[in-house]
Amino acid sequence: MSSRGKTGTLTRRQLLSGAALGGVSLTIGCRLGRSSAWEFLSDEQARTLAALCDQVVPADDFPSASQAGVLDYIDRQLARVYRRHRAAYSDGLVRLDTLSRTRFGRGIAALSVDLQFQAVTAFAEQDKSFFELVRNHTLEGYYGSPRHGGNRDAVSWRMLGLAEPPIRGRAPYDLTKGSTS
Amino acid sequence: MRSLLQFAALVAASLAIAVTCALSGASYYYSSQHGQGCSSCHEMAVYGAGMHGSAHRNGTCLDCHEASLATKLRHIRVHLTRTWPETIRLRESDVFAMTPNCQKCHQQEYASWHAGPHAATYTQIFTNAGQNSRQHLMDDCLRCHGAHFNGAVRDLVQPQNEQGPWRLVRSDLANQPTIPCQACHQVHSHGTPQTRPAARISVGDEPIPDSLAFYDRREGEHFAVAALALPVLHEGARMVSVSPDPRSALCYQCHAPRPPDTGTPAALNGWGSQAGSGDDRTPTGVHEGLSCLSCHGGHNQNARASCKNCHPRMSNCGLDVEKMDTTYADAKSPHNIHWAHCEDCHQHGIPARENAPASPLHGALAGN
Ligand code: HEC
Ligand code: HEC
Ligand code: HEC
Ligand code: HEC
Ligand code: HEC
Ligand code: HEC
Ligand code: HEC
Ligand code: HEC
Repeated sequence: MSSRGKTGTLTRRQLLSGAALGGVSLTIGCRLGRSSAWEFLSDEQARTLAALCDQVVPADDFPSASQAGVLDYIDRQLARVYRRHRAAYSDGLVRLDTLSRTRFGRGIAALSVDLQFQAVTAFAEQDKSFFELVRNHTLEGYYGSPRHGGNRDAVSWRMLGLAEPPIRGRAPYDLTKGSTS
Repeated sequence: MRSLLQFAALVAASLAIAVTCALSGASYYYSSQHGQGCSSCHEMAVYGAGMHGSAHRNGTCLDCHEASLATKLRHIRVHLTRTWPETIRLRESDVFAMTPNCQKCHQQEYASWHAGPHAATYTQIFTNAGQNSRQHLMDDCLRCHGAHFNGAVRDLVQPQNEQGPWRLVRSDLANQPTIPCQACHQVHSHGTPQTRPAARISVGDEPIPDSLAFYDRREGEHFAVAALALPVLHEGARMVSVSPDPRSALCYQCHAPRPPDTGTPAALNGWGSQAGSGDDRTPTGVHEGLSCLSCHGGHNQNARASCKNCHPRMSNCGLDVEKMDTTYADAKSPHNIHWAHCEDCHQHGIPARENAPASPLHGALAGN
């Protein structure tokens, strides 16, 4: 064994422990990030955002934005095609929370619906561009395709009177009798 | 040179160890109680969370899901590279591998379904000469048959003409069911806790579980029956009373009516879709207003035992309904059980009642 071997041993040890650590961290690593069901948002951010979105589309006979899965939609997009809006969301939600605490003494999620309305109205004036961003994303999620996480069970389409999926019988034609369709 | 080889060997060895650790870790994860392991990976959390309130909350992920070595490795890669898709979906092979797992715990439902029409295989549906010589094969077939097949109809069956003989391109699917449990049931309810889609009020006292849901191939999503539409149907110009039972909305996705064909009175007069058009079986006449599930049920959809639930209590004629001249007694009878009207048999008017017990429903109708 030469001194090079010694270096090798050292490297080996490092490599081995590194590898073992890697394996172990795979098993516990996941566990650390466990608490939130969201991909990008924290639970706290999700609560604030839900209050905001639900002022854009409140519940009536049909579900509100958050009930229809709009948060799932926004969260999934922030982890993907809307990565560029991440900072806007992180900062914007802090500003909304600050506004709410300053004026109403509590985070917006903890306010009554009436106060939430006042808070969001004030916020929309103060923070026009972020509010409009969230409003657009909310409407995309609420009226877009269910496959992207929002518009759960196609509720907004049902609200507009469209059956989804539609009831549609199979094509009626019979080739042996000449086409009728 | 030697050190380079040594280094390469070391890298290989440590990789092997890393993989072993990861796999044993992963296996631990996959099999840990109540799926806490799987769900602890971020991207799975939503799918695990959907189980908590469900009938399957006491199961582990592996009770239903197959997770071979290859699957585990793929999951690890996707997890580490953070490349999981926006919406995680089962692959075709996952769905087929799962149906026998449902059988393990649901023997009775499985046996009944297997004996019934909905277990029809890909061979039976897609190489049926009677059907294929009369109608072009088309992708739309997959909406109702083989909704979980991942491809176009030409990837499934050839030749695409009306002469045949037809054979499955995907011979591995020959004996797979076209309407597996997952066509009508979902196991995970979706979305995070906030998500709460609107429900239709149930007709009975029992709420309809979200697990009863139609798999919509186009969206790759299940729609809970409470979210599904019920049809508006007519008999001539008259609007038919369709049962409000939300469960039957599932049946209507496949046993579906059609808009009136051009040239028919219904089309000329703008009466709207007719009961009994297409594959529709909405009852009109004596059984109008009844749900499909009043008579069909038990997963083989057998209606033979159902008559006793209402007859002779609700009979008018004083006869054994099972022996009367309907398609129940004889498939060739002109009186389809779904559409028989009093006047169909009593063409000269309803006779005076002699010894038949009073019918509460008929009384109510006559009172109108
Ligand atoms: C480990 C056993 C097990 C397996 C595997 C299993 N189930 Fe179940 N399932 C149950 C139990 C237990 C219940 C609850 C029964 C009850 O409440 O009476 C249930 C209930 C259900 C219900 C009724 C749910 C409701 O909301 O009322 C449906 C539908 C169902 N299972 C479908 C499936 C399907 C489809 C599969 C295969 C993908 C499957 N099950 C696999 C154990 C299992
Ligand atoms: C709207 C849903 C729907 C579509 C689309 C559809 N089917 Fe069907 N199919 C049904 C229903 C419902 C039945 C059962 C009809 C019955 O027994 O009343 C059926 C029955 C069948 C049968 C059973 C054999 C028979 O005719 O008795 C075959 C084979 C079949 N379909 C093939 C096809 C093919 C091939 C296509 C595409 C050209 C197709 N179906 C499109 C709903 C559909
Ligand atoms: C064609 C649609 C369809 C298919 C396919 C289907 N089911 Fe069902 N299943 C139903 C309906 C409808 C009900 C509700 C029946 C009721 O409420 O009386 C139901 C109810 C159930 C229940 C609850 C039973 C109870 O008593 O509450 C279980 C469990 C179940 N199905 C399991 C399965 C399994 C397992 C399979 C596959 C082998 C399967 N189903 C395939 C339509 C289907
Ligand atoms: C009782 C059977 C059953 C159990 C237990 C089960 N699954 Fe599933 N899983 C299914 C079925 C069936 C589907 C197909 C979609 C559906 O029914 O919601 C599915 C779909 C999925 C999907 C794809 C998403 C989708 O909705 O298509 C993921 C991811 C998943 N399961 C993860 C898990 C995890 C993680 C666990 C353990 C916490 C688990 N499953 C436990 C039956 C099961
Ligand atoms: C996913 C599509 C689909 C759904 C949902 C569905 N069916 Fe079917 N059904 C079919 C097809 C396809 C056939 C014909 C299978 C064959 O003949 O090979 C069939 C056959 C039947 C038959 C027997 C037909 C015969 O010729 O004996 C009955 C009865 C039936 N279905 C009742 C129901 C009821 C009741 C429901 C709702 C609980 C329902 N079906 C839901 C597709 C569907
Ligand atoms: C009054 C009871 C009753 C009701 C309600 C009912 N059916 Fe039927 N159905 C029967 C009987 C009886 C048969 C004949 C086969 C048998 O005896 O098993 C049958 C046969 C069928 C068949 C296959 C034979 C055919 O006519 O082509 C289909 C498909 C079917 N029913 C679908 C439905 C659907 C879908 C609904 C709801 C829209 C429904 N049925 C409502 C009693 C009923
Ligand atoms: C959910 C209850 C219900 C079920 C199940 C049911 N029927 Fe009926 N049926 C009725 C009612 C109610 C009437 C009477 C309607 C009226 O008075 O206008 C009726 C009338 C009839 C009639 C007309 C003759 C008479 O005595 O009134 C026949 C024939 C008939 N049913 C056959 C059947 C057969 C065969 C089955 C089993 C496949 C069946 N029914 C299942 C409720 C039911
Ligand atoms: C499938 C055929 C069929 C249908 C449908 C049917 N009947 Fe009858 N009904 C008969 C036959 C057969 C008799 C016995 C012979 C006769 O009196 O004409 C009978 C007898 C009667 C009688 C005399 C009973 C007695 O005590 O002598 C009354 C009343 C009656 N039907 C009323 C109705 C009413 C009301 C309906 C619709 C809700 C109806 N029937 C539907 C076939 C039918």
